Amino acid sequence: MKFKDKLKDSKFLITAELYPPKGTDTSAFLRRAASLKSAGAVDAVNVTDNQRASMRAGALAMCSILLKNGIEPILQLTSRDRNRIALQTELLSANILGVENVLIISGDHPRFGEYPNVKMVYDLDTVQLIKTTQILESGYDLAGKKLNGIPKFCVGAAINPSADPQELQIAMFRKKVLAGAEFFQTQIIFDILKFKGFFNRIKMKGIKVIAGVPLLTSPKFMGFLQSLPGVEIPKETQNRINSAADPLAEGIEICAQTIKELRKFADGVHIIAIGKEEYIPTILKKSLEA
Amino acid sequence: MILTSKKPQEEVLASLQDSGTIFVIGCASCAARSKTGDQKAVDDMKELLLSKGKQVAGTLVLPAACNLQTVEKYLAKNEDFAKADAVLILACGTGVQTVGDIFPQKTIAAGLNSICISTSGSQNKRFCSVCGHCVLSFTQGLCQKTRCPKGLVNGPCGGFVGGKCEVDDKQDCVWVLIYEKLKKHGKADEFIKSFISPL
Repeated sequence: MKFKDKLKDSKFLITAELYPPKGTDTSAFLRRAASLKSAGAVDAVNVTDNQRASMRAGALAMCSILLKNGIEPILQLTSRDRNRIALQTELLSANILGVENVLIISGDHPRFGEYPNVKMVYDLDTVQLIKTTQILESGYDLAGKKLNGIPKFCVGAAINPSADPQELQIAMFRKKVLAGAEFFQTQIIFDILKFKGFFNRIKMKGIKVIAGVPLLTSPKFMGFLQSLPGVEIPKETQNRINSAADPLAEGIEICAQTIKELRKFADGVHIIAIGKEEYIPTILKKSLEA
Repeated sequence: MILTSKKPQEEVLASLQDSGTIFVIGCASCAARSKTGDQKAVDDMKELLLSKGKQVAGTLVLPAACNLQTVEKYLAKNEDFAKADAVLILACGTGVQTVGDIFPQKTIAAGLNSICISTSGSQNKRFCSVCGHCVLSFTQGLCQKTRCPKGLVNGPCGGFVGGKCEVDDKQDCVWVLIYEKLKKHGKADEFIKSFISPL
């Protein structure tokens, strides 16, 4: 069953994400992909688009590799680095390569990346880019020209439950749905109760919201996450990672417990393991234990 | 108004390295309000040039360096100006270009950096990008194209915390300000339902 069909199903969805290599060596990417495939339980895998506004190989090339390896990809597409010509090109190219799932995001601001003074594009914003996928699906491009061969997409968008005021983020959720978003993946969450409140506020029939959950691997990585705007890690979680003899093992436990709780009410989970995808099968197995 | 800042002295002097006699022009409009092109700034610049052994043919603060007629009227018959090889202009980029266009035979040097279009006393907060596609009616008069660091036209990203922008936590997220204003005017629902089309 395709990811798009699963969105209409009641199944608890599981997605993960991989980042393209910085360079041409795909071996680590392939190794991580293989561990996700062996899990068998991952419904789709996002490939990030120059995350943290830093240069890497193209997400679409890596999505194509995932497809060849029997993994359904979700192409992340930011409007930061491409104008409307290049964005439409990327969307058509994705379809030609068999990639239909696309997560439309604005992307990290260059201030946080390797090229802080780079010229940003933002010729289209996220709402406009979501709308663009619908326009292309109608058989025309943004210039009103007829397409020879019509693409099909399954369009996702991002939402941040920690954004404050939350009311405005919820308004954006609705706006993105009206523009054509079919599913959502959230920024990382730590506090299940808080997320539950948010989830219940935005609940909308037919729109799945997949909760982003990170794998905490070390006190250092946890410190990095805490330095990001809006990231609040509960004291208890912090203590568990900081006092653990094996922080990675503890992180796996925390991640599994979070997923276990999410399974009770949420639509799915998006596991962000940043290079430690080999532990995702274990995490998922643990999340199903009584 | 156009906000300007003074270029570093070394940069100004380097741009006039090969120039003989210099005429210094100020601007009584925006640059005077920024205190970068007023009479004092012009006098200070003259002092600096003289202290570095440069020849100064004269100085003049124009009412508006961006006004073609004014520039012509004030400079075409100015004898000191006529003697100068180079003109150092303490005005915005438009002022510099206006003078340069009318007097192509002169060596042109800019003494200021143009920062942004803003309101006076706003401490370099950008208000307008002069993009030619004004959408201020859509946002209750706050320019998201300029004041959102990503220039997102239809709504914020997910990076606002406590109403502040993730790119600069001292700056308000302009979308939070816009949304609050729209709400006060009973337009929150309209915000969700309407958007600026990509077409």
